[in-house]
Parts: sequence; C-alpha cells; structure tokens
Amino acid sequence: MTKKYDAIIIGAGVIGTPIAYELCKMGYKTLNVDKVPDAGEGSTAGSCAIVRAHYSTEDGVALAYEGFKYWLDWENYLGNVTDEKGLAKYMNTGSILVKSDGHDWRKVKKHYDAVGVKYEEWDVDTVKKHVPPIDMHKYWPVRRPEDPTFYDEPTEMLEGAIFCPEGGYVNDPALSAHNIMRAAESKGGEFMFNAEVVDIRSENGKVKGITLKDGTQIDADIVVNVGGPHSFKVNQMAEGVWEGCNIKTKALRHEVMYCPSPDGYDYLNDGYHMSDGDIGCYERPEVGNMFLIGSEDPECDPQEWVDPDEFYAGKGGKGRDNVLTDAQWKAQCYRLGKRIPSLKVPNQPKGVVDLYDVSDDWIPIYDKSDLPGFYMAVGTSGNQYKNAPVVGRMMAELIDACEKGLDHDQEPFQYEFKYTQRTLNVGFFSRKREINYDSSFSVNG
Amino acid sequence: MQIYVCVKHVPDSAANIHIVDNLKIEESVPFLLNPYDEHAVTEAVVLKNQVPGSEIIAVCLGKKDAESTLRSALAMGADRGLLVETEKVCDSMTTARALHAAIVKDGPADMILTGKESIDNEGMQTQFRIGALFDFPVVTNAVSLDIKNGNAIVTCELAGGRTRTFDLSLPCVIGAGRGLNTPIYPTFPDVVKSRKKPIETLTLPELNVPAAPGSAKIVSMTPLVQKRHPRKITGTPSAQAAEIIRILKQEAKVLS
Amino acid sequence: MKQAGIVIEVEHNQVKETSLGMITLAGRTAESLTALVMDGITREITDQLAAHGVHTIVDLVLPDAPEIRLNPAVRAAAVVHAARELTLDRVLGLSSPEGKDLLPRVAALLDAPLVMDCVDVDLNTGLANTSQYSGKVMAQIQLTGETLVFGVRPNAVPPEPRPVQAKTVVLTDNEAVPENITLRSWDNKDSEGRQSLVEADIIIAGGRGLKNKDNFSLIIDCAEKLNAAPGASRVAVDEGWVPYAFQVGQTGEKVSPQVYIACGISGSIQHFAGMKTAKMIIAVNRDENAAIMANCDYQVPGDLFDILPEIMKQL
Repeated sequence: MTKKYDAIIIGAGVIGTPIAYELCKMGYKTLNVDKVPDAGEGSTAGSCAIVRAHYSTEDGVALAYEGFKYWLDWENYLGNVTDEKGLAKYMNTGSILVKSDGHDWRKVKKHYDAVGVKYEEWDVDTVKKHVPPIDMHKYWPVRRPEDPTFYDEPTEMLEGAIFCPEGGYVNDPALSAHNIMRAAESKGGEFMFNAEVVDIRSENGKVKGITLKDGTQIDADIVVNVGGPHSFKVNQMAEGVWEGCNIKTKALRHEVMYCPSPDGYDYLNDGYHMSDGDIGCYERPEVGNMFLIGSEDPECDPQEWVDPDEFYAGKGGKGRDNVLTDAQWKAQCYRLGKRIPSLKVPNQPKGVVDLYDVSDDWIPIYDKSDLPGFYMAVGTSGNQYKNAPVVGRMMAELIDACEKGLDHDQEPFQYEFKYTQRTLNVGFFSRKREINYDSSFSVNG
Repeated sequence: MQIYVCVKHVPDSAANIHIVDNLKIEESVPFLLNPYDEHAVTEAVVLKNQVPGSEIIAVCLGKKDAESTLRSALAMGADRGLLVETEKVCDSMTTARALHAAIVKDGPADMILTGKESIDNEGMQTQFRIGALFDFPVVTNAVSLDIKNGNAIVTCELAGGRTRTFDLSLPCVIGAGRGLNTPIYPTFPDVVKSRKKPIETLTLPELNVPAAPGSAKIVSMTPLVQKRHPRKITGTPSAQAAEIIRILKQEAKVLS
Repeated sequence: MKQAGIVIEVEHNQVKETSLGMITLAGRTAESLTALVMDGITREITDQLAAHGVHTIVDLVLPDAPEIRLNPAVRAAAVVHAARELTLDRVLGLSSPEGKDLLPRVAALLDAPLVMDCVDVDLNTGLANTSQYSGKVMAQIQLTGETLVFGVRPNAVPPEPRPVQAKTVVLTDNEAVPENITLRSWDNKDSEGRQSLVEADIIIAGGRGLKNKDNFSLIIDCAEKLNAAPGASRVAVDEGWVPYAFQVGQTGEKVSPQVYIACGISGSIQHFAGMKTAKMIIAVNRDENAAIMANCDYQVPGDLFDILPEIMKQL
C-alpha cells in the first residue's frame, strides 16, 4: 500500500522541521523523512547555532533580525509544546563585529540602520573594557601558520567594533530541531527516521512522491528538498530540477575548534559572540568555559568539497569520521591566539567536523523548482541556522501560494515579516538568479 | 639541572587507524606529542622554575615529521630539541639505545623524564631500558615529584589509588603519569618564541648506536574495531542487572 | 625453549585467578613451567600451583623488611637472579599494576625483549598478540633474543586444572639492596581517588535520562562500585549536573575503555565520536529507538533508575 501525504519534506534538521510545522499549521498533512536516527542529528548537530544580524545584504540582515525574534519567543513559537528532552536555550551574549578589512562593516552598518537593528559603536578601549584579554592589533591579511609572515609583529591598531546587544547562540542546535519536530507533531506532522530517499518520482511533469532505499514508495503532491549537505544529490533525483537551477549547491567540509578559555576569564558567562574578519575567525562561548572557534573561510584556506555520502560513511579522505586536521587546528587556534594572546592551545585538537551545504554565492535558495510540486530550501552555506524558524514560515507560505496558482518565477512571492514591519521579496533567493556579487562569499552570508 | 625529556610523535588518539598491508598503520592521520609526554614536559618546566638556571632538552627518535612534536615541547617550555632522525621503525631496545646515546653525547643529565607509556605501541618499557643503560634508578606512573637535598621524592600510583613513595638519587629516570600535573598548553606568543629555539638533528650512525641483543618486531596487524551487532538483554531489572554483571565478569573480564 | 618462569601474584594467601590463567596460557606452549613466588609460600599456594600444571615452585626469599621487599627494583633483581640461576629463557608475568612496574625492570636488566599486555603468547615461537593504538589494533609481535619476557593481560585466559607433581626450590638472592632507589612509604588501601576517564577499563556514563543533578549521583555511586570512571554526555555538563571533566564526546574526552556503559544517553554522533572505540558498549535506555541502541553490543531496554541500583545491590 502506498501512503499518501499532502507534503513530504526531505530532511528533519533545523530548516526541515519548521517547514513541516508551518505547513501543518496551515492544514497540510506532512511527513518528514531523514536518513539520520533523530531530528537535528545531521549537519544541524554540527552547527555553531549562532544568532547574529550582520549579513552583507540588507535582505540578509532583515531576515536574521526577524529570525532573532523567534528565538526570543521560543516557547510561544513552539505553541508551548512539551519535549521530553527539554527545550533548547537561546543564550543572549551580544555580538561583536570587529571593524576590519575582512568585513564590509560599513555596509553592514548601513543595513542595520535600514532594518532598525540596535547597535553601538565601540572604540578600541571600549572593546578592551568588555573583553579584557583582547589584543586589538591589526593582523590583516589573514594568513596560515605555514606562512613565515604569519608570525610577523603587528604594527597598526584596529578601529574598534560594532556591538549588537541582540545576538548570541542556541545552546543545543540538535535539540532545537527536536523541539520543532515535537511542535509539528502536535499539529499532526509525521516523522520517519533512518529512511534514505533514493528517488523522486514524477508523473505527467508533476512530482508524485519519493522512494526510499528499502523500496517503500510514499506519495505526495508536494516534495520539499531540505537535504542540507545532501541537497544537490536530492535535486539530481528529481526530473529537470538540477538542470533548472542557475545557482547550484555542493558540500564543503568545515572544522570548528574548541579551545579552553584563558585562566581567569569566564568566557562562558562574560564573553560575547565575535566576528573577526581581521583574523578570519568567529567565536562564541561553549560549555566547559571553552572558546568555540569557527572559520570565516579566508581566501588562503583550502576548500575541501566532498561527497556527503562518503564523508558521513567515513570515506572522505582526511575528513573521515570527524577527525580534525592538525594544520587547520593550528590555523584557527593560532589566529584567535593573536587576538586573545593568553589563549592556551592544547596539542590535541578538539572540535567538530561537518559539512556546509554551500551555494555558488553563499546565499541560500528558497524557491520552487522546474518540476511542479517540488520545492527547495537549500544552500544554507553555514549561515542560515538562525533564520530557520522564519524560513519555515516563509517556505510554507511560498509553497501554499504556488500550489494556489502563483507563478513565483514571473511574479515573486512577497513575504510579510511577522515581527519586523517589512516585506521580503522571496525572489531574492531564486534558483534562477545570477550570482549575487554583494555576497561575502563566506559563512558570513 | 640538565633535564632531558624523551618525547614521542604518535597518532592522535582520536584518529581512526587504518592498517596497510596487514603490517603498519596508514600515516596520513594527525600526529602529535604523546599525551603522557606532555606531563613529562610540564614537570620539567615546573622543575626549571624551582631550580633557576636549569635547561630542558626535548629528545625524540623518529622521522623528520617528528620535528613538529619537538616544536610542541619547545612551545610548552623546553629550551631546545634533539631529533634522532630515522626512517626505521625502532623497537624499544633500539629506541632506548638511541635516546641513551643522544643524551650521553649532549649530557650529562641530572634527570630524564618521559611519559609512562606511548599511546601508539603501549610498550611501557623504554623508560626502564634508558635507566638500565645509564644505571639510573627508574620509577613509573609518577603522580608527584619533589627535589629535596639532592634527591627526588616521587610518589607513584598503582591502580585503584594505591601509591608508593620513593626516594631516588639523582640522576634518575621518571615516567610521568596523568596525575602528575595539568599539562601546560602554549599560547600564541609561546609558539612565536619557540620558533627561534634550536633543534639539532642527529642520526643513528653518527651516534654509533650499538645493536641490541634481541628485538621485538611487528609481524602483523589487524583492526580491532568491528561493526557492532546489538543483542538485547531483557527481563526484570534484577535479571538485567545480573546479566550485565555476568558480561562484565565473563566476557569483558573487567570485574573479578 | 628450555624453561618458562612465571611470576606469580598472591593475594590473601591465594594465588590470584589471573595468575592461574596465565599458567594455563603458558602451559599451552611450554612443557615445563616454573613458578616464581615472592612474599612466602604456603601449602595452599603450592597445591594451587601444582593443580594448574606448575612443575617447579621457586620460593624467592626476599628480606622481611617491607620497605625492601616491596621495592620493585629489589623484586626485579630477584626475578633476574632466578632467571639466571635456573636458566629460564622465558619470563612471564601479569600486566597488572604491579607487573607494569616489575616486568619492564626485569626486561631492562636482562636486556631482553618484552611485550606487555599480551592476550596470547606462543612461548615456543616467541610470538605474542597485544593491542595497540588505544585498543584499535591487534598486533602480533615476534620477539627474538636469548631470554624473552611477556606481560600477560589479566583474564586473557581462564584457568584450567592440570594437576602435576611439583617440587619446591628455595632461592635466596644475596644481592645488595640498591642504594639509588628506596621505598619510603606505601599506601595499599584504596584511596578515594576517582578512576581517570582516559585510563579506566570501565566507564559508566549518564546523559539526559538522569534528569537532574541529584540523580547523577547514581552514576557516580555505581562507578565506585564497579571501580569504573564516571562519564557524562554533553547535556549533563551543559545542564550543570557534572563538571566538564566528565564529558565524553567530540568536545570532551575521547575514550577507549574495555566497556562503556551508556545510561540514558541517546547516542548523538558527537557523543559517539568520543567513545566509539570502546571495546564493548552496553546501552541502558528506556527508548528502544534511541540511536545508541542500534550501535552497541548489548542493549538493555529499561529504566536506569531500576537497573543501576540492582547492579549495585548484586555486586
């Protein structure tokens, strides 16, 4: 017997679950399928779950600021559902954007003004007052420790930073997806795990359903690709979808380091999220009074594009099975060691390796496809975690409008933000767009 | 004091080990300073702070790549490094002879520190062989060390928290355990400083390392981590507990 | 091979089971076995040794003074003396805490090759199997030399009876007490020192299923009973139930114990990254669909609050 749903969502991470939740609220009967054992256990679990507003485009800033409001209102957003695992917590640390050559911070400031994001400008002394162990020398350009000039003494100082009091991180990203799953279930959504999709079936030029690895066929008139790092493979399964995208996605291997905070500095409780283009790093606090150190993908760092199936099966060369590389460990930790000279860097690397689902311009694709009934929320490029709840709503409304006859390609759907009084042209995230050269082409989005 | 710290360049314990030709491991995994040796280096730095004017020399036998492990020791506070460079895989008897020869050439040593074992071969013996070659006293799994009246007072741990405290005359060899200290980790400024510290490279022929009267040679290697096939333990909590205890005793042999 | 000498460990006037197992292992490839017993011989001990296949029992007489008798350098010298006197060309002992401080001394003094922690030994060929790389690899090692020394993993082989006629030899070592190493004091009672996570044979770890800080004491108490190290998943640390030092996983300690008992831990990928090299995983969980239940050796569906107290009661 073939089961039938209104919509099948491929993926139950932090983007797939809110799409289901919002569709359920609109009366759709949904099923999420995911090859991992539980919600958020895929690349969501490896996310740094940072919530910050700075993006290189105004729409990017607006979306993030809207998303922020959802995290503040988490329990209400979930409809006060109970989750036996507890609720994920949003930690508001405030967010520091270092004024550097590595970020177009003047543009960010302009976007903040346009969107109405609250911020302060800090000079070097103010930064030091808030972050006592910091050294505000200018180290630009970003280099690697293999380069002898990496160790050159800096001579100039940075200007300061832009501080957003609204910003931080979510303490348990996998749990946040689990929370949204429970909320979706309370509205009738269903979830299926350990289930790998191997085919997207279509008939008469319209999507018909999916086929799982064990041969199970499940039908629905709507199928949504939220496959994360697997998104390009899922798109390739659906007739004409991959070919119909002007912007493509692929999987990038990415390492995040965990390094203990210097003695005497309670980074966990007193620290800030920081984006520092001058050293190509971002940081946030983590349990155990650790610095979580991410990379902003500086040009000098190699990019390792991998096959997601091989990566997760442990066959991805040096990327196998979440093993950090010593060279990248030193690169990220020593870069932060310039900014925080008292940071102690253990010899044994500690951290997370996972994949980004990266689009050609590092801006996601939230769109329909060339196959009627098939939609995609892909190319999240390591920077869309914070937007997940609002993206869920936006995708649900986009799907609903298209199913009701909207030609989104000709007449892009306009999404009304719920909290900030703005309208977003969803065509901004079109698969048909030309590469957006306003993008930072990095995790900063 | 002239303090020698013997360090080893080993694969990261977090790395997945893959075996090549049933004989050796694939060496593309990250290598780093043997974790027990971190305690040895740290203790040397503690001693140096107590006895001003001391010098810490990190000694390593290994391939050219092992230089990065010596750099780690230098960043942690060692003053200079000696790399006995060889492409050969050396067993403990030869390793001890090589390290002994390097220290004799560089010495004299007032103290030799090592980790209590390496996390790759887990041989647990090189420290004792170095001690025998020098005729220095040796202790292993040291958890505290004091220098008093020219002697080393060392407490060593057996399992289960049992301890023994020894009085060693100097020079001596001490195998550091986890309980000895919290390893020092270098800051970026430490790393910058360590880049200027010297590393001298030596070879086995120039050290005239004598042949050992015996050897230990790996003849085959097989991976131990297999796919797991879960079996279910059912019944009342009491029956489940009894079965767990039986498994711990009879299968895993970790309870007596 | 001429003669195999086996260093025997005795506790409460009984030969340890682990020593008897080592005799059984040695007996598989050696005709004639010699037991080396320090700290005195009783009738009970000789009977036990003869019942398991030992032909010659050597009473290695050490000075009575405990600070001399317990000095591992003194003990090692006594074993070396016996090996030379009795022309033993194979020496075996346990890779026990005492053995780890004795056998390498013996090997170093004899300048003989040694493999520690063997799970199998062929005394004829000099081949031994031992694990390396934190339990990830089994290596077969060929020893060559005049005398070969083996440290045998306790419980590698269970003891099997093999009664033979045994003779007893008394050997007194008159060598001088070493001056460069003296034993000042010893503490034989089990201290309260907790097992270290990275070194423990057994780790019992708790996660979200413990529900709160007070309940976590169940894991710690159970660990004490099992002589195990207590561990925790990230959630338990994040919630402040236990300090960060307990954390096992990608961002905590990476461990490879003989047995990992996961209690109320769902088994996220990041937790697995820290304990997947455990030799055996036992998962206690109420949720039979938890990821860990599919990736363990023994799944114990049930309430940890019922099962753990039962384990403690039955030990």
